[in-house]
Amino acid sequence: MAQPNFAVPVPQRPQNVDRTKRSWPIGFAIAAVVIFIFYSFILPYLTPDIRTVVQHWMPLGTINTALIWAMSALGLNIVVGYAGLLDLGYVAFWALGGYAAAWLMSYFVPVSAINILGNAAPGTKTGLHLNILLVLIGAAAFCALFGVIIGAPTLRLRSDYLALVTLGFGEIIPQIFKNGDDFFGHNISNGTQSIGPIDAVEGVTARTTVVAGVAQHTDVGWGDLLAFDHSGRFIMFTLLTALIIFISLRIRQGRLGRAWLAIREDELAASAMGVPLMRAKLAAYAVGAVAGGICGVAYALQLNRMLPDPFTFSVSITLLAMVVLGGMGNVWGVLVGALLIAWFNSTGLPEIGDTVNGTFGTNIDFPSYSFLIFGGTLVIMMLFRREGLLPERRTRLVLHEGAAGDTQAEEPDEELVDQAGAVK
Amino acid sequence: MAQSPTAAASLPKSRLRLSAYGERVAAYTILAAVFAWLVVNFLDNPQQFLSAAVFGISNGALYALIALGYSLVYGIIELINFAHGDLFMLGTLFSGFIITVVFGSKAMSAMGWVAFLVALVLVILFCASINMSIEFLAYRRLRHAPKLAPLITAVGMSFVLQFVGLKWNGSTQKSQPSVLPQGYIDLGGVRIYTSFLIVLAVTIPILGLMTWIVTKTRMGKAMRATAQDQDAARLMGVNVNRIISFTFGIGGALAGVAGLMYEQTVGTTRYDLGLQLGLIAFTAAVLGGIGSLPGAVLGGVLIGLIQGLNEGVRYGAGQRWTQSVVFSILILFMVFKPTGLMGVSMREKV
Amino acid sequence: MTETQTAVPEAEAPAPAALSAENITVTFGGLVAVNDVSFTVPDQSIVSLIGPNGAGKTTFFNALTGLYQPDRGGRVVLNGLDVTGMSPNRIASLGLARTFQNIRLFNLMTAEENVKVAMHSHLKSGVFGTVLGLPWQRREEREAHEVALELLDFVGIGKTAYEYARNLSYGDQRRLEVARALALKPRVVLLDEPTAGMNPRESAAFVEFVHRVRDERKVSVLLIEHDMSVVMRVSERITVLDRGEKIAEGTAEEVRTNPRVVEAYLGSSAGDNHITIADEEGE
Ligand SMILES: Nc1ncnc2c1ncn2[C@@H]1O[C@H](COP(=O)(O)OP(=O)(O)O)[C@@H](O)[C@H]1O
Ligand SMILES: [Mg+2]
Repeated sequence: MAQPNFAVPVPQRPQNVDRTKRSWPIGFAIAAVVIFIFYSFILPYLTPDIRTVVQHWMPLGTINTALIWAMSALGLNIVVGYAGLLDLGYVAFWALGGYAAAWLMSYFVPVSAINILGNAAPGTKTGLHLNILLVLIGAAAFCALFGVIIGAPTLRLRSDYLALVTLGFGEIIPQIFKNGDDFFGHNISNGTQSIGPIDAVEGVTARTTVVAGVAQHTDVGWGDLLAFDHSGRFIMFTLLTALIIFISLRIRQGRLGRAWLAIREDELAASAMGVPLMRAKLAAYAVGAVAGGICGVAYALQLNRMLPDPFTFSVSITLLAMVVLGGMGNVWGVLVGALLIAWFNSTGLPEIGDTVNGTFGTNIDFPSYSFLIFGGTLVIMMLFRREGLLPERRTRLVLHEGAAGDTQAEEPDEELVDQAGAVK
Repeated sequence: MAQSPTAAASLPKSRLRLSAYGERVAAYTILAAVFAWLVVNFLDNPQQFLSAAVFGISNGALYALIALGYSLVYGIIELINFAHGDLFMLGTLFSGFIITVVFGSKAMSAMGWVAFLVALVLVILFCASINMSIEFLAYRRLRHAPKLAPLITAVGMSFVLQFVGLKWNGSTQKSQPSVLPQGYIDLGGVRIYTSFLIVLAVTIPILGLMTWIVTKTRMGKAMRATAQDQDAARLMGVNVNRIISFTFGIGGALAGVAGLMYEQTVGTTRYDLGLQLGLIAFTAAVLGGIGSLPGAVLGGVLIGLIQGLNEGVRYGAGQRWTQSVVFSILILFMVFKPTGLMGVSMREKV
Repeated sequence: MTETQTAVPEAEAPAPAALSAENITVTFGGLVAVNDVSFTVPDQSIVSLIGPNGAGKTTFFNALTGLYQPDRGGRVVLNGLDVTGMSPNRIASLGLARTFQNIRLFNLMTAEENVKVAMHSHLKSGVFGTVLGLPWQRREEREAHEVALELLDFVGIGKTAYEYARNLSYGDQRRLEVARALALKPRVVLLDEPTAGMNPRESAAFVEFVHRVRDERKVSVLLIEHDMSVVMRVSERITVLDRGEKIAEGTAEEVRTNPRVVEAYLGSSAGDNHITIADEEGE
């Protein structure tokens, strides 16, 4: 054998996987605890000025909303970032998860009340009332099922066709909920009337007693989360987000994660290496959908009701912008991208607008610029920083390969060639 | 999703063929159901049926114009140009602008046809140049990038154009004046609106012109060469950049024409019109066989017809389900017959 | 570790066919790329498929591995099992592995990961096991890792285990393709022009390597090869395709002297022992 034989592999740290430190849960938990303490125990005791600023720019409710978006974005990242399947209808899972929650924990289902470790409001006579954990599992399973149903017909399609089919489902499913007061004669969603209220969940409550505008003391307890109990929801959403991050990271390292990346890299070669394309893609849809379902439940809790209107195409696009901005395939990048865009969308943009308008005496409707901002984000990121703000290592490598290829492949330019006459 | 190591001996021999058979059965069943539905509705009330059909075909002609833009671009660079529908939306706004602002009240009088023709020329230039600029600024740079990149860019562009529409027209439906003769002809209870005739009178020559350009002119031949094999075309002396730019120009022009016709016949528009109609038109392109020009026209007319019937006959699902019906068609076609009615299939070269 | 060209280890009696293809026809529109070709690969043998460019060799491989469906009447039998019409991944996991003429690695995965991808069908871990990190799951991953390193060593690129595939040199990429194919634990490996781009010295080493693959991995090797010095030294049997038709079959000597083969290659430049047909595009 002419080639040298290396008996012992040179020990080298694998740089293959994004070497997320094993300790990420600790960092994550510390961040969460700090935020919790700040909003529950510190903020109420600060001066009114500071309180106003924080309430305007970064209320805890906004953080919660951002976490909800992050859950979905992380789910979409599994489909788009890992497996390379462009899904333009991800909003469907969000809606499905939300309605699953609405069915499983409210008066809505027309049966006399069935309470399974649930928390039905006193006097509720009908409906299913499941424990929140069961609801989460149920919604996740329901969405996974739909992930498979939606995924199945798309499996053989080329990538761009697939984008459209998912888009189609993303439009059909919310439309079904919207027209769901008469879905083949059945009421499945109250249509635009919304289902609500949803059973309150129990959680940590941190309530500050205020006397004459001055905070006296903060009591931490356990009880039903009311509309303004953001702290409890914050804890819950943080845990759910952590769960989705955990799943994303773990799965990426395993057999399935490798199969997804292989499909993303070269589908045909992957199949020739024994990777069952259909199964692997379905799994990507299903796992991605689970995150969407969990996000939907969180959304229903946040809103305390479920209505069909928010589930538009632009939600799917916003999610895509989050994934693209953060860096497709990179969990941490996507998390940051999602939090950033969600904050910007719900609080940042209006506040910046108010500030600018207040300062310069202008009257610009900043939130109406969100179309430009999201559209522009997608375009600019694709043109100039395809790897995202926090790229996954492996993506960074090929990033600018395209640009280099461009210059080589283009023709010297116009006239000469053109005058010679095109095709005979 | 655990997959057991392969138990070699006990495999079904030809799963594939079986599923192909099942697919065929499913496809024919669906076709039969559609046919039965048509017959039932026709017998129920022929006049209503025909009126709905005529209305649908008129819409379909517009869809065909938009679908052509998708199909042309897809045919040449395999990109689903998501922004195309929004370009059409800008076309409606621009036409309305020309007719109301430039011609104003005169538009209602004898100047009507002049206003219409001027608007036609201007909207063609307007939309064609926007489409070419988008190609030049964005898609061109991504021609060698992974496929996901231009697609995402197109989605982003769509949003940027919607933003323009939002700023231009506000967030609510705005109605715009028509300068064309109103009214309808009654043919034994079947109403044929004048606007329908005008749409046909404009659309058919334009489609003829398109066919001529693509099949007969040097530019058209270069387009087809580029579509088949960019590198080969380049070697043959085709200026590929220019051809692609030209294709976007034509697609934009068609979207502009569709915009004007829509503005004149339907009369209301909104910034998100492009999303709805664009997707319907894209479905039309897929239905006909994306990349095929006659296919796009056929698909457009069929989708228009389906929509018209769905909304206009007794056993239709009604307007609120139109989108779901159209998307279901899209999905069914992509699954059962991704090449559409008139497309050709290709095998990936290994 | 030197084998002579013709020696077949062990079995003298006609070995059972590891792979047999019957009446394979592949058409593209009007073009008949492969026309009614039948062909067997005996167990643990090294056989070659040669022919001018465009003869349909790669297309034939694609039909064997399920990437193309052979036209009606064609049959592919692997290990006694009819695999015609099965999906490529099914066929691959049943023991038919391949490399690609124009290298198709998973560029943004490391060499080690590339190899592990091909073990997919032999591993069992599912979503839940992976997420929960169950002990046997971890053990399976560890074992896969070791096997991957071992395979990379086997093909001589153990040092590059953690490099991204796209950063490997051309030769190493070809080796990685072989390692990846072997990770499927195949019965038959199809190598599509494995020495393309290699220099004569490397090609010579390759002959040894193919024998090593056959003997140590207990597989049959089916080779598409342009380098006649390699073909003649390595193959137990050679099949010649021309314009989609099988025009000759036999030992190296028989094929070399076959008038139809000589004719098929006529006009070709034989420089460097590479057989190339220069003006295929002419028609
Ligand atoms: N996907 C395809 N579509 C159309 N023609 C093809 C395709 N793949 C191969 N061919 C044609 O089939 C013939 C055989 O090609 P190939 O099998 O690649 O030859 P070889 O590998 O022997 O050089 C060639 O004429 C080639 O152009
Ligand atoms: Mg070949």
